[in-house]
Amino acid sequence: MPGKRHPAQWPWYGLLALLLLGMVIALWAATQRVHYSWHWDRVPQYFLYQDEVLQSTPVAGTVAQIAADGHDSRVEIAPADGGRPTTITVETDTLKVKVGDAVAEEDDIGAVQQWRIGPLTMGLWVTIWISFLSGFIGLVIGLITGLCRISKNPTLRGLAVFYIELIRGTPLLVQIFIFYFFIGTVLDLDRIVAGVAALALFVGAYTAEIIRAGIQSIPKGQTEAARSLGMSAAETMIYIVLPQAFKRVLPPLAGQFISLIKDSSLVSVIAITDLTKSGREIITSSFATFEIWFTVALLYLLVTSVLSQLLFWLERRFARSD
Amino acid sequence: MIEAKQLVKTFVGRGHIVRAVDHVSTQVAKGEVVVIIGPSGSGKSTFLRCLNGLEEFDDGQVIIDGIDLTGSKTNLNAVRREVGMVFQHFNLFPHKTVLENVTLAQRVVRKRKLAEANDKAMSLLTKVGIAEKANEYPSRLSGGQQQRVAIARALAMDPKVMLFDEPTSALDPEMVGEVLDVMKQLAREGMTMAVVTHEMGFAREVADRVIFMDAGRILEDAPPTEFFTAPKDPRAQVFLKQVL
Repeated sequence: MPGKRHPAQWPWYGLLALLLLGMVIALWAATQRVHYSWHWDRVPQYFLYQDEVLQSTPVAGTVAQIAADGHDSRVEIAPADGGRPTTITVETDTLKVKVGDAVAEEDDIGAVQQWRIGPLTMGLWVTIWISFLSGFIGLVIGLITGLCRISKNPTLRGLAVFYIELIRGTPLLVQIFIFYFFIGTVLDLDRIVAGVAALALFVGAYTAEIIRAGIQSIPKGQTEAARSLGMSAAETMIYIVLPQAFKRVLPPLAGQFISLIKDSSLVSVIAITDLTKSGREIITSSFATFEIWFTVALLYLLVTSVLSQLLFWLERRFARSD
Repeated sequence: MIEAKQLVKTFVGRGHIVRAVDHVSTQVAKGEVVVIIGPSGSGKSTFLRCLNGLEEFDDGQVIIDGIDLTGSKTNLNAVRREVGMVFQHFNLFPHKTVLENVTLAQRVVRKRKLAEANDKAMSLLTKVGIAEKANEYPSRLSGGQQQRVAIARALAMDPKVMLFDEPTSALDPEMVGEVLDVMKQLAREGMTMAVVTHEMGFAREVADRVIFMDAGRILEDAPPTEFFTAPKDPRAQVFLKQVL
């Protein structure tokens, strides 16, 4: 429109920054009130930490020679029975023997530092693989159920409706308990299997409805065109309807899988050491309650953001034919 | 080539039964071009869609090249690959390129090799004058171009019969000609065609026979010269007065 200027946007961004800053200050003030002492320095060790691993001699004998090698020392032990000498490398400040000392088998010579993966990293990994595995199985279940849901066969349709209503009408937490305590006991399932199965069936029911809606949103003319070319119903579904439907349902599907990652935290109640359970365990030893929960939340946010970016990229790729 | 005997198709709408196709019998000989005209809602599109089983009919028989569509041993998919169909709204596959639109059924249904299917597709796209758009997606094409691709897609299956369901009705006026030209060329090459259309000029010029339908029945079946100059049926007379 000529003459009409767009109002400047920056004051609103300024306001946004101010509001966010206000929230941070409120958070800080709130923790001041309860006299919480922050110990962020305690957090990193739960990702990755150095562990001292004691090194012992496999043979009895005498220490023949100690050679310095940077921070390390190479300890050469001449076996008592006159065999070939053994060399053990340890850190110099942990050295426990001198040249000429007699050592028995399994005696400690010193220690080395080794990097170990901490419980937060382990928990994060468990959360990721449990989510992806159950998401994949759920997608397959959802696809099959979605197709059954629109089938002309009343038995298939009825089963699909029953399953979807059952899952959508009950809380996931209760489903996990039933899977672990009832089905898990009857079928002698491992807790991980029970957890993944419960999550997969849960996400499958929601995915089925999404896929059904997607299939039904494809115009009838598409099916008619494919059938008029002599394609069978299955070929039409595979080559024509599903690719288009999948493209359409990608955004709601993405939302469902992001929800799944968050919902997977519920499997911690059946003692699967996922990110949430790791967090709880760490708090009992570190007493850094606030820091750990904030960190756990941030890690979930990280995983969901990466996934949502990935799906956004996929969506744009599919948009080529629009 | 096509034979319909006492074809009946009913729809249940608002509590009462509508006979969209009411005991229609006719036949289309090999190489013949039959144009079906009539007011909207006269059942001409439904009748056409019954001919390749896209619409399940309630009674009667359709025999395509000697095969009864309702026969218990008839493989409908095998019949359909011999019967090409062109739709009012083109129904191109939007997630496939123009070339893929034309090759897909060749590969899936006719089990042709990729190179063979591509050659066939390119020669057909050249024939309908749209080869340069082979790698575009349908959404980038005009209506007339899309409909020509749809014709090429149907022809790629080497059909014995082509059915056209109001192929120009959804087109902007300036694009009608390019589609009709392709159809005329097909007719000249001896393709057996059944065409539902409102293009009276096309009917007059190309048709061997004109069928006039109203209320699900065939009211007149005559050569175009006869039909357009001296229609016998009173409803056909009224209809022609309105459209010409």
